[in-house]
Amino acid sequence: MTLMGTLVTGAIVCYLAGALAALLGNDRWGRILGAWGAASGAAISLSLGMVALASGSVFSAVFDFPSLTGFALRIDGLSAPFLILTGLVGAASSVYGAGYSAAYTGVYSLRKLGALFNLLLLTLTLQVMADNALTFLLLWEAMSLVAYLLVLTEHREPATVRAANWYLAITHVGFAALLAMFFLLSAGDLSTAFDTLRANAPVPTQRNAIFILALLGFSAKAGLIPLHVWLPMAHPVAPSHVSALLSGVVIKMGVYGFCRIVLDLMSGGPAWWGGLALALGVASALFGVLYALMEHDLKRLLAYHSVENIGIIFIGIGAGLMFQSYGLMSLAALGFVAALYHTINHACFKGLLFLGAGSVLHATHTRNMEEMGGLIKKMPRTALMFLIGAASISALPPLNGFASEWLIFQTLLGGSHIPEPAVALMIPIAVALLALSGGLAMACFVKAFGITFLAIARSPAAEKAHEAPLSMQAGMGILGLACIGLGLTPFFVVPVLGRALAGLDRLAWETTVFSLTLPLNTPATFGSMSSPLLAAGLLILLGLIPLALWVIGANRRTRVGDTWGCGRIAQTPRMQYTATAFAEPLRRVFAELYRPTKDLSIDFHPESKYFVQSIEYQSEIHPWFEKLLYQPLIGIFHRIADRVRWIQAGWLGLYLTYMLVGLIALLVLAWWTP
Amino acid sequence: MSSLFSQLAVLGSSLTLIFALMLLWHRSVDAYTTAFAWQSVVLAGIVAVVAYFERDPELYFVAAMLLLLKGWLIPRLLRRMEGPFGAEQELQPYVNTATSLLISGLLVLFAYAVCRPLVALSHLPTRAGMPLALGLIFVSLFVIASRKKALTQVIGFLMLENGIALLAVLGTYGIPLVVEIGVFLDLLLGFMVMQLFVYRIHETFESLDVEQLGRLKH
Repeated sequence: MTLMGTLVTGAIVCYLAGALAALLGNDRWGRILGAWGAASGAAISLSLGMVALASGSVFSAVFDFPSLTGFALRIDGLSAPFLILTGLVGAASSVYGAGYSAAYTGVYSLRKLGALFNLLLLTLTLQVMADNALTFLLLWEAMSLVAYLLVLTEHREPATVRAANWYLAITHVGFAALLAMFFLLSAGDLSTAFDTLRANAPVPTQRNAIFILALLGFSAKAGLIPLHVWLPMAHPVAPSHVSALLSGVVIKMGVYGFCRIVLDLMSGGPAWWGGLALALGVASALFGVLYALMEHDLKRLLAYHSVENIGIIFIGIGAGLMFQSYGLMSLAALGFVAALYHTINHACFKGLLFLGAGSVLHATHTRNMEEMGGLIKKMPRTALMFLIGAASISALPPLNGFASEWLIFQTLLGGSHIPEPAVALMIPIAVALLALSGGLAMACFVKAFGITFLAIARSPAAEKAHEAPLSMQAGMGILGLACIGLGLTPFFVVPVLGRALAGLDRLAWETTVFSLTLPLNTPATFGSMSSPLLAAGLLILLGLIPLALWVIGANRRTRVGDTWGCGRIAQTPRMQYTATAFAEPLRRVFAELYRPTKDLSIDFHPESKYFVQSIEYQSEIHPWFEKLLYQPLIGIFHRIADRVRWIQAGWLGLYLTYMLVGLIALLVLAWWTP
Repeated sequence: MSSLFSQLAVLGSSLTLIFALMLLWHRSVDAYTTAFAWQSVVLAGIVAVVAYFERDPELYFVAAMLLLLKGWLIPRLLRRMEGPFGAEQELQPYVNTATSLLISGLLVLFAYAVCRPLVALSHLPTRAGMPLALGLIFVSLFVIASRKKALTQVIGFLMLENGIALLAVLGTYGIPLVVEIGVFLDLLLGFMVMQLFVYRIHETFESLDVEQLGRLKH
């Protein structure tokens, strides 16, 4: 057996053993052994991806066991990045989960949680290896259902059940689209190997239908607007290490599927495909971050940021598709590599942030940021890890978010001279909106980190917070190191990721390199701008600030006082900035989008209204376009359900008559058809 | 010889259908049970006839089982069930007798129409009985759908089962013995479950009128 074959078997065995141990073991050992199984399986998945990328070799296996006929696996360049991110986030969150899920002992079923966690990792690992439509769809459904059950872990909360139902509904809309798409693509025979599908090209009208269905199906999983509604519902209610996996890996399967079908099997298409993906990506990036800004539930905020980052990934893919259709192959390759890079990066920092949020939840038992504060003193390591994640997601150098977003900017700017008016208009807008969403993301994480970790505790729960146990710190540490490592080595990572495109049609993947130079290839009047020089200059200027302060003789005596003390002796939590207050300016700027409702009730003193006893301020935002899209849809379904309700009359004779009539109708049908 | 075989098969099939039609004009459950018992006896007879002409010893066993189970055991159980519920009568079915007979006639005609290609393909001497067997299936289904008392429906279901067995024996000279035994076991278990339900329905609604089940909705 080859090395890769051994690794694949090893990973499957580890996950299954983990699931079995979690099922059979008692609360303590089941939890620990289950986590071991998951962690070692994930480590093998990770090395599998690395071996596949490093050696460039392809693993393939077709199963012919009686029960697994038609099951085919294959690992190629495109699978490898996704195996790597599954392994990274999987290993970190299973180590973390060993400690985190201890809190569920005696409350919810640890056995189910541990076993399903292993199964989710197993289906995710196998998903990216699927080599025919049958395998792909089976694993897709298995993954969706396992994820659904994991979301349902805290099943006694009504909000959890609601969120899980939304997830299930949307994921099945996507599944229906994918089923139709694969039937079109494989002309009815779902067990056709992907290799055969690559060779025979469908007719253009069918190709367009396949593309639209693929976009619909995969964006439902990835959480692209407008099918993103399940993310901010389902991610917060799942256990935090599951949220990390959902947000870090599961939604990435949408990206993987889209790349596999559109880039690999259909090898690109007309320019409008890319344009549509790009437009949806831009919309997701912008709306995702705008809604994240208004969230005060830490995990919901992170979930909205997943929408944003999926948008950024689709910007990269969309731009790549567009450039590919114009024959700009190395630029297209750069776009795809940037998207893949950002996919891995997002998995790392979003996984890290969800784990960090989980530690905070673990310590304070609340997700509401308004009840946190001052946690940096109580849980310094978690705070450091969260800060690394926050800096990465805000695309601050030298962390990994910067490297990939920079590449996406480079791709977009590189396409600025396509002589098509629509494209020439679209790309600058995309650049501007991407920059805007980057800035807003930064603001959002200033809020998330500042309100949660800084200042003084806003509630007794936050005051009594404690540092997370060692296993949870280790889980966060893995991803924190990954964020730093991936950020520092883009010069190495980008050419390696370029190999992921090796099997793809006509893409100049060998030339994908990372450079800090911005290719502003405008006609000679503009010239090229040396951005590294600018960056270095800025850094030097930053270094000059303390020097300048020293020169002008600023007061350098150290005084110790409360944060934001302002010289007062006693401070109360009510004196400090709240998350709502922080977001208020942006709420006003984007009032048209948010449609906020305000509810202010002031309780005056009975004697004089100059003495206020209490003020209650409530403000909610209403995502109007979600209402515009989903409420009519739900209304239509309700109306149809009401109409057809008479079929279910609750009258036994009628049901039996249905059977008789059905039998006769079938016989008549068989009689008439030759 | 072959024509005698064929005539016996058609005669038997017609008899089973007539016993099913008896459910449409009788009112008492007792008469229904008798009709079912006789129908099962006739069915066992047909199976024995097929066994005799085809020299298939397995079918004799099936015939014996039929006689024992459907001709004796189940009717006995049915009569015992009537006891606690008093003289339950099918007083007001959804469809009155005249219309029921008319509809049943149409259903048998339809069975003949549907069976035409089947009969044309078959070379078995028993093929002429197949439309009658299908007609029995339709009529039994109609009985189940149009009658209100739970016991009537159980008997209708048992007759449906007889119809399927008849179709199998006429169309293919019976199914493998293992399957046949499985079907018997299934039937017995199904009957017991239905018996349980009948008791529960009576317990809950003080009546065996399935119309009451409509109250379970809401």
